[in-house]
Amino acid sequence: MKLEIGKFFVKDIVFGDETAYNNGILTINKEEALQVVMEDSHMTEADLHIVRPGDEVRLVPVKDAFEMRCKVSGSEGVYPGCTSPVAPVGFGRTHALAGCSLLVVGKHWGSFQDGLIDMSGPAQRNTIYGLMPNLVLVGDTDEEFERREQQKKNKALRWAGMRLSEYVGRCVKDMTPESIETWDLEPVNRRTSEVQQLPSVVYVAQPQTQMEAMGYNTLVYGWDGNHMLPTFMHPNEILDGAVVSGSFMPVSSKISTYEWVNNPTVKRLMKEHGKTINFLGVIMSNLNVVMEEKIRSANMVARMALNLGADGAIVAEEGYGNPDVDYIQTIVELENVGIKTVGLSNECTGRDGASQPLVALDEKATALVSSGNVSQIHELPPMKTVLGELESLARDGLSGGWEGCVREDGSIIMENNAMFCADHISGFSVKTCADF
Amino acid sequence: MKKAIHYINQFFGQIGGEDKADFEPVIHEGTVGPSLLLDQSMKEVSVTHTVICGDNFMASHPEEAVSRILSMLEGLEFDMFIAGPAFLAGRYGTACGTICKAVQEKFNVPVFSSMNVENPGVEMFKGHLYIFEGGRRATYMKQDIEKLASFADKIAKGEKILPASIEGYFPRGIRHEVFLEDLGLEPKMAADRAVDMLVKKLTGQEFITELPIPKQDRVDIAPAVADLRKVKIALVTSGGIVPRENPDHIQSCSATKWGEYDVSKLDRLPAPEYKTIHAGYDPEQADKNPNVVVPLDAIRAYQKEGRIGEVDDYFYTTVGTGTTQGEAARMGKEIAEKLKERGVSAVILTST
Repeated sequence: MKLEIGKFFVKDIVFGDETAYNNGILTINKEEALQVVMEDSHMTEADLHIVRPGDEVRLVPVKDAFEMRCKVSGSEGVYPGCTSPVAPVGFGRTHALAGCSLLVVGKHWGSFQDGLIDMSGPAQRNTIYGLMPNLVLVGDTDEEFERREQQKKNKALRWAGMRLSEYVGRCVKDMTPESIETWDLEPVNRRTSEVQQLPSVVYVAQPQTQMEAMGYNTLVYGWDGNHMLPTFMHPNEILDGAVVSGSFMPVSSKISTYEWVNNPTVKRLMKEHGKTINFLGVIMSNLNVVMEEKIRSANMVARMALNLGADGAIVAEEGYGNPDVDYIQTIVELENVGIKTVGLSNECTGRDGASQPLVALDEKATALVSSGNVSQIHELPPMKTVLGELESLARDGLSGGWEGCVREDGSIIMENNAMFCADHISGFSVKTCADF
Repeated sequence: MKKAIHYINQFFGQIGGEDKADFEPVIHEGTVGPSLLLDQSMKEVSVTHTVICGDNFMASHPEEAVSRILSMLEGLEFDMFIAGPAFLAGRYGTACGTICKAVQEKFNVPVFSSMNVENPGVEMFKGHLYIFEGGRRATYMKQDIEKLASFADKIAKGEKILPASIEGYFPRGIRHEVFLEDLGLEPKMAADRAVDMLVKKLTGQEFITELPIPKQDRVDIAPAVADLRKVKIALVTSGGIVPRENPDHIQSCSATKWGEYDVSKLDRLPAPEYKTIHAGYDPEQADKNPNVVVPLDAIRAYQKEGRIGEVDDYFYTTVGTGTTQGEAARMGKEIAEKLKERGVSAVILTST
């Protein structure tokens, strides 16, 4: 299956008369863009902003990040099963506005999984979104049923983000990309003998799917991951919008929708394919609450990997705490059937750094990459501008905030837990954890 | 210029060897023996005083030795406290750890030492202070002192302390996140680190995990006792139940001692004659009724009903909170020896 991603490298975003891309500049017709946002009657108000690296801007509560893109050929919509009918993706041509993102921010109300981004200052580098220009949608909704709930589905805003990212993305539909990434991977049993002699590898994704109620979990082709058993997918499906981020996990552990389609671990495995490894594909697993479910998924992942002929695996866990059990169990089951495994996730060592880093440990997990520590404390100066509402960090149960963590002068103290996607479990993290 | 006080033993303090190991603590102005080398090796710090204490004196009267040294330091101005290097000398290493921990608690200044990896002081104190990895014997004096000196200079300049593997101290059981670029390392993405690690693992090359899993020392669960009427049962606890006066001075946390107490005349542990000294849980219920931790009352009832054979005359106790795995294993072995001597063949081990 072959997918081409045509890239347009955005250097800056501005507002103007026509939504268009020209020579590194992305122009947004604000009025037209807001019409797309307001198509959903549950959206009560919305505004758009542009933020750039170095701006003295703090964004909170950030709900999700999207890459602005469109499908050119192969299928119709960017987010099948969500904003367009269910249809296969991962082939044909997709055009993407690269090097920038669309951030969706609540105008007032935050939730457990929402986060904070600083565009300058000491925490700018903590999230990749601080290092790129972003179009920012700030909006409010009529979702009264969850207004004062800590857990929010954030559906109207998340769906508005998907529609808006596709609307903007469509401005490059008929243009010639500045570069084309080609992702091509033949069926597992149709590979040359040279490729088949290389060690075979699977990528095991454990997206966050632990909410028993529907509407909060990671979606795969629009299907709630909580109702899924581990399944086999082509890497191109991941890179082409089959997975949409949920609305549940403490946010430093979150894999945003932007990061699913740009997943650097999948891309690196694709690049190694035929050189050092034979990349078999992706096992899309899940994370569960009940022990029996954790064991079932771990066993099925190991069985699927074994019978695909895998010699090695990378397991990535979107979460920490309770789902560490799923993470370690899956690594152990893979090792038990002789598959050499590397884990990629973050740690939770407590504010003093002295707690056990993962809830579950096992000596068979001999190769772990650590992408951050959710408990790290950040004390951050005020920013001139806040997009959203700063008080949400303290008031609304964001995982890394607490009552009193926002001071009168606008400075804050928070746990990394609330830094938007800061542990970049997709693989973007340039942090690790070390013994002190 | 910042000020440091240096602690050394009787041998390096030029008092004498093993025959002088009972030497009682003294404090000198300026340097003695290796503290001169330490003083010369530091650029930002000078050694203002040297404390000398015999290893045996510290080992046999730790509370006395510590309190005397702490009172000598009272009123002195100092920015850090450095002990050793102690190389492979076990009593010296333990003394360095003991005094450093006490000085840190009382004066809240940075304390650090140097020991060989096999020095028992490392296992006992690495969680409490920076212990730099040192050589096996005094021929490493210069290298070990230089490591301590450069760390002292770093603290004096207020520089950020880097991870254990970079600075050269033993990990203290603390983990924090770090940006690779802040360690002077290539800011390689986690994605690339994971794939590179996997390729190495697949091709049998060496790789370094970023999260080492501590080795688990698991003990298999013993098979059930076939006939309880034919065995002698003992009660053992890590819940810190002791006679009121804690006669063996078992520590309330990070215990290195255990005790055995005769209960052959008792049907239950009475309060307040017995209580808990464990600092890791709320003592209210255990102090009200120590049998909730050491179930002597229940086992006596079973005995009376004829359901079990014999109960050991003693119960065995220590404190589990903060206690290192190494110390726990040692105490466990010692207790097991005693149990065997007394013909015990089954144990009820209660933890809290």
